[in-house]
Formats: sequence, C-alpha cells, structure tokens
Amino acid sequence: MGVAQRAFKPNVLRGVVLYATLTVIATCALFPILWAMSGSLKTAGEVTMPTLFPAHPQWSNYRDVFAVMPFWRMFFNSVLYAGCVSIGQVFFCSLAGYAFARLRFRGRDTLFVLYLGTLMVPLTVTVIPQFILMRVAGLTDTPWAMIVPGLFGSAFGTYLMRQFFRTLPDELEEAAILDGCSPWQIYWRILLPHAKPAVMVLAVLTWVNVWNDFLWPLLMIQRSSIATLTLGLVRMQGEYTARWPVLMAASILILLPLLLVYAVAQRAFIRGIAVTGLGG
Amino acid sequence: MTPIDATATAVARRRGPSGRRARAGRIFVAPNLTAVAVFMLFPLGFSLYMSFHDWDMFSPAKFVGLANYRSLFAEDPLFSIALRNTVVYTVGTVLPTVLISLAVAGVLNRKIKGIAIFRTIIFLPLAVSSVVMAVVWQFVFNTNNGLLNIILGWIGIDPIPWLVDPKYAMASLCIVSVWRSVPFATVILLAAMQGVPENLYEAARLDGAGELRQFVSITVPLIRSAVSFVVVISIIHAFQAFDLVYVLTGRNGGPETATYVLGIMLFQHAFAFLEFGYASALAWVMFAILLVLTVVQLRLGRRRAAQEERSWA
Amino acid sequence: MASVTFEQATRRYSSADRPAVDRLDLSVGDGEFVVLVGPSGCGKTTSLRMIAGLETVDSGRILIGTRDVTDADPKDRDVAMVFQNYALYPHMSVAQNMGFALKIAGIAKSEIRERVSDAAGLLDLEPYLDRKPKDLSGGQRQRVAMGRAIVRRPQVFLMDEPLSNLDAKLRVQTRNQIAGLQRRLGITTVYVTHDQVEAMTMGDRVAVLRDGVLQQCAVPRELYRSPVNMFVAEFIGSPAMNLVTLPVVDHSVALGDWSIPVPREITDTTAGLVIGIRPEHLDVGGTGVEMQIDMVEELGADAYLYGRIAGSDNTFGQPIVARAGGQDPPPRGSRVRLHPQPGHLHFFDLDGHRLL
Repeated sequence: MGVAQRAFKPNVLRGVVLYATLTVIATCALFPILWAMSGSLKTAGEVTMPTLFPAHPQWSNYRDVFAVMPFWRMFFNSVLYAGCVSIGQVFFCSLAGYAFARLRFRGRDTLFVLYLGTLMVPLTVTVIPQFILMRVAGLTDTPWAMIVPGLFGSAFGTYLMRQFFRTLPDELEEAAILDGCSPWQIYWRILLPHAKPAVMVLAVLTWVNVWNDFLWPLLMIQRSSIATLTLGLVRMQGEYTARWPVLMAASILILLPLLLVYAVAQRAFIRGIAVTGLGG
Repeated sequence: MTPIDATATAVARRRGPSGRRARAGRIFVAPNLTAVAVFMLFPLGFSLYMSFHDWDMFSPAKFVGLANYRSLFAEDPLFSIALRNTVVYTVGTVLPTVLISLAVAGVLNRKIKGIAIFRTIIFLPLAVSSVVMAVVWQFVFNTNNGLLNIILGWIGIDPIPWLVDPKYAMASLCIVSVWRSVPFATVILLAAMQGVPENLYEAARLDGAGELRQFVSITVPLIRSAVSFVVVISIIHAFQAFDLVYVLTGRNGGPETATYVLGIMLFQHAFAFLEFGYASALAWVMFAILLVLTVVQLRLGRRRAAQEERSWA
Repeated sequence: MASVTFEQATRRYSSADRPAVDRLDLSVGDGEFVVLVGPSGCGKTTSLRMIAGLETVDSGRILIGTRDVTDADPKDRDVAMVFQNYALYPHMSVAQNMGFALKIAGIAKSEIRERVSDAAGLLDLEPYLDRKPKDLSGGQRQRVAMGRAIVRRPQVFLMDEPLSNLDAKLRVQTRNQIAGLQRRLGITTVYVTHDQVEAMTMGDRVAVLRDGVLQQCAVPRELYRSPVNMFVAEFIGSPAMNLVTLPVVDHSVALGDWSIPVPREITDTTAGLVIGIRPEHLDVGGTGVEMQIDMVEELGADAYLYGRIAGSDNTFGQPIVARAGGQDPPPRGSRVRLHPQPGHLHFFDLDGHRLL
C-alpha cells in the first residue's frame, strides 16, 4: 500500500470533473462580456467574423466613444447621483433602523409594520405619481430629480438596518448608556461603527441601483449634460445602431467602474448578505 | 392611585431617560418616514385615486369610476396579450433561474483550491447594469454577426433571427433574463448552503449517502426558506420587467408584440400616450396580481412543510 | 461485529509542526469497549475520525476485522458514529433521523419501521418519534443520536464525547445507560472523552493519548496502579497523584524531614528522581511526612487536605495533597504527619518514565 496507489483514487477524477464544470459555468458567466470586449476592438467589417481576437486591435473605437457621447460628464453625473443617494440612504436608514430596533416610542411597532407593507408595493404603482410629483415641483430635468427621492432613505434600507441592529448584543448599548451617552452618541459612536457589514450591503446595493437605473433617468432627464452613463448608452444605441464596435467600447467603459467596485467590495458584500439574513 | 398621581407619574416618565429616548426615536425616524410617506405612501394612494379618473396632466382630471378597469379587462386586446407574455416571461425566467442557481450554488459550495476565483467570476454579472447587458446581448443575438449565430454556423445551423422573429424574441429575452438573475439567486442560495453545519454531511456520509444524495436530502431541504425567498423575489421582479425588455427588444414590445409585457404596456400608456388614469389602473391590477401570487406562495409553502411532517408517521 | 486495529496510523496536518496522530498502534477486540482519553489536542478525536474515514490516513493502516479500510469510503466501512453535538438532521423527525441510513441502503419500509421502534424502545424514545430535534431536550437528542447509530447494527460504534454537552447529573445517568447498552448489544465500541472518570468507569480498556502519541493502553486498574509514566500517573485519578522531584542522597530521598529509602537498582543509575503517591494513600497520623495544611476541602464522606511539605528547618517545600476522613479533618493552619501506605509509592526518572 504505497503513495502511488493512493494517487489514483477516484478523488482525482472527481477533481477534474469539478474543475471542468466550474470552468464551463464561469465561461457562461463571462462570455458576453468577453465577446463585447473582443467586438470593441474590431473594425466594423471584422465584427461579422467569428474570431475572438481582432487582427489589429482598434483602440480608436474607445477614443470614438468620447467623441460620440459626453462620457466624462455622464460619468461624473452617475457618480454624483449614486454617491449622494448612497450616503443619504446609509445615514438616514441606519438612523431610523436604530430607532426602530432600540428606541421605544409610541406607535413604533405599528409604524414598522406599515414600512414592511410598503416593501410589497411594486415600482409600477409608485412611478407615475412620483413622476407627477417631480413635474409639479418643477424638478424635472435637474440633478435634484435624481437625488431627492432616494436621499432620505427608503423602507427597504431601514428594514435592513433594523434587522441588523437587532442582532447586535444589548450590552453594547447598555454600556454606553451607563457611560452617559445620549441616543445620538450611541448611534454615531458605537452602533454605526459596528454596523460595517450591513452598511456595506446597503451602500453597494444602493450605489449599483442608482448607477444602473434606467427608467427614472429616462423619464426625468432631457439634457445630456445631466444624463447618466446608462441613459447615455441607450441614447447612443438609438442613434448609432450599426456601429457595433463603438457601442461595445462604450459598454465596456461603462462596465469597468462597477467591476472595479465589485472586485474590491465583493467579499465584504457577500458576508454582509449572510449577516443581515437577507437570504431568508 | 388618584388621577392626579397618575398624571404626575406620566409626566415624570416622559421627562425621564425613557422619554428622552422616545423623543430621539421620533426624531431619528422623521426624515426617513417623511421620504417613505412622500415617495411611497402618497404615490400609493394617489395612483389609486388616479385610476378612477381620466387624466393627461394638461386638462383637468375627469372622474370615470371603474371605466378604466372595465376597459382593461373587457375591451383592451393588448392587456391579455401583455398578461400572457408576462406570465410566459416570468415562468421562463424564474423556473430555469431557480434550477440553475441551485445547481451552481451546489457546485460552488466547496472548499477546494481556487474556488474563490470561480465565485468572483460567476457573481460578476451582478455588478453589471441590465441596460449595458441588454446592449451587449443584442450584439450576441445579432442575426448577421452575433456570437450565437456564428457558433450555430459552426455546427451547420442557419442563422436564427433571435430578436427579429416573434417566435424567438421571447426566448431570447428569457435567456438574457436568466443569465442576469442566476448570479443573484446563486449568491443567496450559496450563503444559505454555507449555513448548513459540516457535521451533518459527515453524519450523512457515514449513513451511506453519496454526494447527490447529500445534496438532495440535506442541502436542499435545509435551505428551503432561502429558495422561497429567491422564488418570491424573482417573480416580483420578472413580473414588472421593463429595463431589459425596452433595451433588448424596443419600446413597443418587440416584433409583433412578441415581448409586449405589462411593464412596457404601463410605460406606453403613461408616458407615451399620457393616459395616466388608465396606466394607474393597470398598475393597480398588477399590484393585485402580485399580492395574490405572494400570498398563495406563502400558504403553499406552509402547507407543504406541514405535509412533510406527517409523511413519516 | 469486528475488531478495530490501528497499525502505525499517522495523521499530519500541513500547518502543524507535529503529527496530530503519531504512529498509533492500538487494537480493539471484538465486542470490546475501549476509551480514548487525553487532554485537548492529544489526537483522540482525530484517531476516532480516522476509523470512520472522515480523516485521511497519511501513513499506516486501519483495519476493521481483517479488512484494510484505510482507503475505503466512510459509507463502505459499516461504522456508526455518535457526534459530540449529535449532528441530527434538523428537518427530519426522530423516526426519520433514525431511519435515514436504512432508507439509503434500500431496506424495506416495514423493516425500517420495526428496527426504529426497537431502538426507540431501548432508549425510551417512543413518545418522541414524530418530533423534530429542535423540540427535544439535550438528553433526548443525545439518545436519538445513539438510536441512529444502533439502528444500523454496524460492526463498530464510534462515540465522540457524547456526554460533554449534558449537565452533570444527566451525565452520570447516561454514562451507565451507554455502558449497559453496549454490554447488551456487544458491539465493538471506541469512545472518546477528555474526562478520566468517564474513561475509568466505562472502558474495558483505556488508551491515554498525549500530543498524538499513545502513552498507555490497559485496563483501568492497571492504569491506576502502574502508570507507565508521569503523565498517565497525573492524568488518572482525582485529585491527581502527588509528584515530588527530589535528589537522591545516600540511597534515599527526603520529603521534608522524613526520608524514604530507594532501591539500590535505581540509585545506582540516577542522581535524582520523582516520587509519586496518591492522596488516598497517605494516612493522617503516625510517622511520615510533615505537612502544613493551607486549605481543607470538605466533601462529606471525605476531606482533602491541601498544603506544603514542612522541612526540619521550618522551610516549606513542595505542595502535597492528602485524603482524610470526613468526620473530623484537621483544621487549616495545623500541621499533621502523613504516613504513606506501603506498596503505593511510585518512582519515576526525571524524564517521566517509570522506574522499576
């Protein structure tokens, strides 16, 4: 009974099958993006050919993107909107989440049930009145239309934070109370720093949602100067239907910042999902 | 206790530390509550109100009672088309998504070397915008130079007009939708699977269970609540689909209304035809359907659990 | 029913500097109840899991009966295991938990039902067959874990500290139940615990492990009477054996002002040694070691005196523990003479090995 005999155990076969399956799945996940990348570097004629790698990478396609749409302007807008709303959401939802989780006031529990109820309401019901609200307030076609609705938080974000705060031990807050902290101090100094996983989840979800949002910018924005990247891409799609390489180049450019954020935040984000019990 | 004493203690209570906390609670909740009231509750009520009127935002609103609802159900041929398309789309998205993500999560739920890289790659589509992906997939589905037709050409099949032919448009839409939904579902299911204690699998191995058996008898039952969650969320999301459909197959619901779903119908009536009353009625009908679906699902889930408990008696 | 044999079995983790289990040679006879005992990290659980197939064997062999199972899958080894935290399937009822392995093996439903109810009868689990684990108490869950193992009628039972999650009283009760059950069923059992009382009361033989190495495997009486080294001597018995390191002077050693003659074979080979004597083998009164009592533990039937050896020049030396009768133990602060019972002195060399 030597080492050699152990090496050919069925385990090796199992390993090969496993890695092969994983590679197939990973390819399925990646191939549209890879195909877009390859398309973005081809000439308009080459695009019809089944090659993965272009003959001569046409980096000029990427340059053309900037000529065709105000990329940096839109990038700035997307970052501005996503950033403001994310910060606002995190702050106001965690504040309210803390209140719902730990501070007793009259009507608290009924109010929370009401919050839960709104979670059920589909976007389709609220979008028309929200549109009208913005119209009436004269905020259409302004950056405020993109920021104000989400700035003070949402029911979902508050629900998330409240669930999370309930998992923190009571002693944390009790020690602070004994030390003489006011509720604000408890929130700001003690609970919020401990809430990193949940904050991470909420911030990333919010950021991604605002960055990728399509319907709302479509309804609210006319001027390109305040448009988001997402809206810009669709407009470009409408105007330059046959110029696939440039369209793909634009798509890749828009993908990249998010992929970067994803690569950095992924681990914390996934852990956050487990911790906040989002998975049922 | 005399009434005077009772009031005195009540006042004292309000001024004490619990009173301070209650006040802080109300202040902390206020901004968030305002936002929810203005952007959630008010729209909820207002859209219901609107659904009983005819309104185009320029002329004054005209009260029409249930006329909108009546024409929706009885007179509008597009409603039944949209409803049917939406149901097909929902089933065609949720079913494959759940099955595929169960399998993928099962494969990812291991501690082998390099698994982290695979997980990162497979979750990548999560980070990508629906819109961007729709643009990219348009390229993939392109009849003349799309990747899919190129690959089919290699095995000798004629190019399929994926997005142009009404027969295939819905299938293409579902493919993209599934591709988009699987990573999200997989993240949730994987997180749930990782909550299953390791020594349950050890006990099962000793009991004679092979890998597949362990997956079916232990992993899947123990993540049942996560699966329910994924199903419910996916249904709600698919039912209201708009972004993907608009960008992939156009604002009119694809070739010969092949992908004319309720989300597109709503958008059309509200923002193209400016029929806010009618669109609001449609929105409420969708809401009602979703509500019923969710309640039915919850009930079914509870009854299934009760049944299983009785099966071994 | 079969024997279990470890042949130079070794398990090494890549991150550790010493093997978790180091060339273990141990034989468990058919129907025997052997306990693996030792402090945490000694390798007892790892050894158990090697029998089950849940740990790979890096070198050496494991045999069940005459079959070499070193590379066999857990499901092909015909062993059943009771886990420390029971590992009950939370979504299945008690009956389903117990019947799971049989269901996989394809046994007929009627027979499964019969076997499950037999085992349930043995363990007083009949009223709980339809309940889920979360609705059971700790003791009940432990019995279900045992039932799950019994139902399979395996060749070997493996138990990984099954009593450690129970409260003290329940532990004693269950200890006897398990021992009785094993005697009745006659199945070869390997039992792991860190509690030496459990080991001594339950095992036909006890194997003491330390740092992955087997120290001694013998019947409890022999471990008590003739520990093969200082570690075993100190581990077995509570309170622990008194061990005093002393230099050899003039073929004897001095405990305070009392000297003990040491056999010539020993004094010829070493200049210092360790004397061992158990607290229960020191009688209060008469001639012997003088002890200054620092603390008295009264346990009712017995009392234990904790203190230090008093020297002739009023210096205080090493600590010592003695057992006295519970009726009227000498008070704290007083001095007594302790007379070692003849024949109960142990001699160890400075490396810890037994002399003589």
